[in-house]
Amino acid sequence: MPGRIRKSPLETPERPYLALGLEGSANKFGAGIIRHSKDGSTSVLSNIRHTYITPPGEGFQPRDTALHHREWALKIIKRCIAQAGVSIQELDCICYTKGPGMGAPLQSVAIIARIISLLFDKPLVGVNHCVGHIEMGREITGAQNPVVLYVSGGNTQVIAYSRQCYRIFGETLDIAVGNCLDRFARVIDLSNDPSPGYNIEQEAKKGKRLLPLPYATKGMDVSLSGILTSTEAYTSDKRFRPDGIRKGTEDDDIITPADLCFSLQETVFAMLVEITERAMAHIGSKEVLIVGGVGCNERLQEMMGIMASERGGQVFATDERFCIDNGIMIAQAGLLAFRMGQTTPLSESTCTQRFRTDEVHVAWRA
Amino acid sequence: MASPSFAALLVSATPISQGAEAKVYKANLTSEAPPILLKYRFQKHYRHPTLDVSLTRSRVAGEARALLKCLRSGVNVPGIRMVDAAAGALGIEWIEGKSVRHLLPGGAGEDEEAEDVQSEDVAEGEGESVDALNEYGISVETLMRLIGVEIGKMHLADIIHGDLTTSNMMLRHPTSFTSDDLEIPTELVLIDFGLSYHSTLVEDKAVDLYVLERAFSSTHPDSEPLFTSVLTAYAAQLGKEWHAISRRLDEVRLRGRKRSMVG
Repeated sequence: MPGRIRKSPLETPERPYLALGLEGSANKFGAGIIRHSKDGSTSVLSNIRHTYITPPGEGFQPRDTALHHREWALKIIKRCIAQAGVSIQELDCICYTKGPGMGAPLQSVAIIARIISLLFDKPLVGVNHCVGHIEMGREITGAQNPVVLYVSGGNTQVIAYSRQCYRIFGETLDIAVGNCLDRFARVIDLSNDPSPGYNIEQEAKKGKRLLPLPYATKGMDVSLSGILTSTEAYTSDKRFRPDGIRKGTEDDDIITPADLCFSLQETVFAMLVEITERAMAHIGSKEVLIVGGVGCNERLQEMMGIMASERGGQVFATDERFCIDNGIMIAQAGLLAFRMGQTTPLSESTCTQRFRTDEVHVAWRA
Repeated sequence: MASPSFAALLVSATPISQGAEAKVYKANLTSEAPPILLKYRFQKHYRHPTLDVSLTRSRVAGEARALLKCLRSGVNVPGIRMVDAAAGALGIEWIEGKSVRHLLPGGAGEDEEAEDVQSEDVAEGEGESVDALNEYGISVETLMRLIGVEIGKMHLADIIHGDLTTSNMMLRHPTSFTSDDLEIPTELVLIDFGLSYHSTLVEDKAVDLYVLERAFSSTHPDSEPLFTSVLTAYAAQLGKEWHAISRRLDEVRLRGRKRSMVG
């Protein structure tokens, strides 16, 4: 609730706390170590990630992604600990992503977390991936009580905090925005390196023509699958030129892949900014925080910035280190929970593909 | 009405608030006439200009069309006073009263006036909202019934509101309204038809209700019993159509991503 300041239930730490965070809910494996110091400050000691990149035109399959995580986990964790300059014995807890995400990759990471926990006798903390994004975003940007737009390959939600819970005000009714962009990247054979969304963004900068696409906001929710279908349909339009080159000087009325990327981004982002604005107006907040992989799209940040300034507010966003899935955010959210006395016993250290943001008891906030 | 008159009107108007969609003004068409509420969909600079123009135009026209249809079908909505779709302006009847959100527990004090609340730092909430409702001479239970009835009438006219929240419903203040019903000295008015459309589909009506349910639970904590009484009144209003909508509403509730599939 904006305007009212209550005391945080989180006590100032009597000693420094250290946590290792392990993330692997999608095609990135990440590990990070965070420290909460006695003066209340937070420092990122290390934050390393390895991404499973598939050839153009292909998505990542759960089985192969899990294999990638198992292959890379120990290397990344070792590197992460070395870079942080701490020993594994000094850690207070091992935090891992409990969900939501893809089943097989989640399981791989959960197993690794359990092994480390048993080997070194450290408590486990299962973390909700979305809450991890929000907590890291708040920590990095210093936003106090923002409306959060969480946009990634698997999630699209407008979230606001109320009564120890991150409530979902609006969300996608079908596919996530990152999924929509990635799938379109596959249709027009864009590279998956560093990420399909990044390549769409670069391609869109060259686009000029705004093609009519459906605009589907429903209250504070959005629907994206129809837009993907309509954009795909343009690729079989007779005006479409896959190489973006005119067939002659007379050939003016053409549609290029860049135009499609541009139109897709403009339409989809306008919808996202609109539902965020509606949530801001609804709860009377002036701060927006963008988190999740799509959050590093600069056009989305720019549009959100214009909207926020028109409302006399401001936008907070982070760069790719913290926007894209990473281990440190899991460490941050996990350590907050740990300091409130929340741990996950070994027998309950499961993972789940479905784990809604609003199911988490946010004990560390007033 | 032509644009120049709208520009002049805007200059003389008093700004009231800025919603998500539009800036809202209180204005006078002529000096004698009662005031009107002017809803001005200003240009959204974050949107591509082409997209912005077409969205604004279709939303103003759509809103006016929906209001007219509601008025004809006897749904309580504000009357239309002027439309200028190209300029993005819609003038409607000025309603003296308060939004339902302010009258329910949890809704007050979390809005634009948040800064003022901080300085007072008093526990707002239930006590205050109940007092506010007394002023309108009805109980929370009656208010929920009025909401259900009004939405029912609207859906019977095949209008889908598209953004049902407690902020988008108002109660007319008893001093500015003469009621036919002695028991209820006020009237519930549905406002903001900016996202509305025409549909006969059970699906759309169920989604409309679902949007309201979510708005209730996110704005007014512990509001499940309240929403249940809204649905009861709605069911009575719809009669035999309710059965299909009810079943679809249960289906819609299971949608959305990452829901736990228990049971």
